[in-house]
Amino acid sequence: MRKMLFGVGIAMFSLAAGMSVETPATAQEIAYPGAAARFARETAKDYRLQARYPESSKALEKGAADPVKAKRMPTRQSMRGPEGEGPALGVWASAVAYQSPEPVDLFAQIEAASPVALQEVKGEISNIDGDLIASFVYRDDGRGADRRAGDGIYSARVALPAGTEPDFAESFQVTAVARLAGGELRQSVGGFLYGKPSARLTGRYRDEVRDGSLVIAAEVEVAEAGRFHLAGTVTSMAGEPIGTAQAALELQPGRRWIELAFYGLMFQDRKAAGPYRLGSIALTTATRMPNALSDLVENAYVTRGYRLEKMTQKAYGESHLTETANRLEGEAFLLDLQEARQ
Amino acid sequence: MTCRRLSIAGLLLLGLVALAGQAGAQPCLVFVHGKQTDTNTYTSYTSARNYWINGSNDFIRTATKSFAASYYVVGYNGTRPYWDAQAAGEVANEIVNATNGGADGGGRRCAKTFAQGGTFIVVAHSMGAAVMDYILGNNDTSDPNFNYNGPYDQVAARISMAITVGGAHRGSQGADAVCGNNNLFCNFIALFIQSCDDATYWLRSSDDVQVRTFANAPAKTVYLTGGYEAIFGSSACLNGEDDGVVQYASIYACNGSATASYDNSNVCGNTSKQESSGFRNLDAGHENHDDERNDSDSDVRKAIPGGIWTCSGVACAPNTTVQSSMTSARLISILY
Repeated sequence: MRKMLFGVGIAMFSLAAGMSVETPATAQEIAYPGAAARFARETAKDYRLQARYPESSKALEKGAADPVKAKRMPTRQSMRGPEGEGPALGVWASAVAYQSPEPVDLFAQIEAASPVALQEVKGEISNIDGDLIASFVYRDDGRGADRRAGDGIYSARVALPAGTEPDFAESFQVTAVARLAGGELRQSVGGFLYGKPSARLTGRYRDEVRDGSLVIAAEVEVAEAGRFHLAGTVTSMAGEPIGTAQAALELQPGRRWIELAFYGLMFQDRKAAGPYRLGSIALTTATRMPNALSDLVENAYVTRGYRLEKMTQKAYGESHLTETANRLEGEAFLLDLQEARQ
Repeated sequence: MTCRRLSIAGLLLLGLVALAGQAGAQPCLVFVHGKQTDTNTYTSYTSARNYWINGSNDFIRTATKSFAASYYVVGYNGTRPYWDAQAAGEVANEIVNATNGGADGGGRRCAKTFAQGGTFIVVAHSMGAAVMDYILGNNDTSDPNFNYNGPYDQVAARISMAITVGGAHRGSQGADAVCGNNNLFCNFIALFIQSCDDATYWLRSSDDVQVRTFANAPAKTVYLTGGYEAIFGSSACLNGEDDGVVQYASIYACNGSATASYDNSNVCGNTSKQESSGFRNLDAGHENHDDERNDSDSDVRKAIPGGIWTCSGVACAPNTTVQSSMTSARLISILY
């Protein structure tokens, strides 16, 4: 193999056509000229770009998904049968987290091109200690949590038994076992959070531009003192995500306001004047782990109209990122010198 | 006068060249191990150090270029959840200790402190990746679990990057199998994970235990590499390519389902990660979960989408063989 040349783009090592075995490593060997320096420089370049925004507020690439919403969207867990045999059984919950005392909607489905009828699907909910909390049967009969009979999606609505609800928040495991028509078994494991958040969003919002950034304040009603985290995504009126902001505060009981400061540069970067839509907002009681998650609120609020000129054009200059970028660039310089010497 | 200027410039250059040849020009590597079935790595430095060794093969020796770069070995309680004080808390405190010039359990110190201008790269394997995600995603006062049980802010400020090898960023289907008592299907994987202790429970694939549910995007870039060499039996329990214990969706911190099937051709690129920023692909190696951390299988490496290898000036097509014999430790050694 020809010794590595330098590639383009992100910290890449270039590879000549045709491969050969790399010689064994020796100390200080430079087998990939310029590669390490380039890796350091590209990482530094990333940090300089990121440093344009504060850690509490990030711009999103055009076309990017809403990250606040994505974290509250439940995902499916699937597992195949013995020796990796298909089809797999997929399980999921209707939410990442539930608030006491609401019931939990759980689903199971054999992953196949067309609906697969099953002899039975049984489920169990257990806690981290392995204690059995509830046993239940999934059904595909169009009743309760099941949206349509015979569609191959088996559903169950389960209320946690009295005395098993956590004081704050807890993770619960769901184990589903399906018996296929031929008697074969499939098992998959999912889960959900169940908790009692100490605050709720009241639905009252207000907005202003302050120091060149869009500040949206959300009112929360705090039932019990604790630490609260609020995250939101601002979108265009057409729903295109522009950026995120988050804040965390210790709050005492009562009605309080939490402010999300969307750094103004994100609107300049996207050339997006107001009004803006608060596309999603998520409140978390983060007093301890695991956190108690409140329900996601979508399309929560529309701001007043703002001219783009009111938003800052200044890069924030997040200091720990610029400091690291400086050091990486210094290291890259020394690497170049070291290679030149050899 | 001109000669004098030249000689000063020459001396300066010579000084810089000399400086470049010293270990001080290199970062200090901080090693964070993975899931454990007992507390040995937390209580014994030898256990923590041996995590990276297999016979005469030593991940740390290779990654540090035969110890040309300085290093520090972290030992934490790998039976506790990734967010626990004895996991994330211990790791954060040890990393800060390393950056302050403190010694690890074996008396090793980084060559330069942060105050002296040192740089630090964290190398994490398996569960160590989830621990680092939690730390780096809770470093700011606006994060949900800011400095939950340790100086996460100092860690994030002081390290240059993290490199994860076979990282359980999205948990492991092996943990699903063990915690679901799925012995009928996946008894092989139980040999590796053994029991559904609290750490294993918090490494399941479901949303309720995922790091991303409790953290923000990492404050410093997390570079991702991992293995695709199957382990007989256990790999059958995992969707898509895997290293025998952790599936690709997790190794490469993909968004969406943690059990989605991926391979070298279609694993998630840098814009489809569990967070909107902060994760970047390196490549994939034909190593299993153990090989990844003990430098014992110098084997083929493949390009993956958004990865670091280029072929004739452009990004190598995913699944292109980019090296015929290279371990993950060796890969790390050429990144600095």
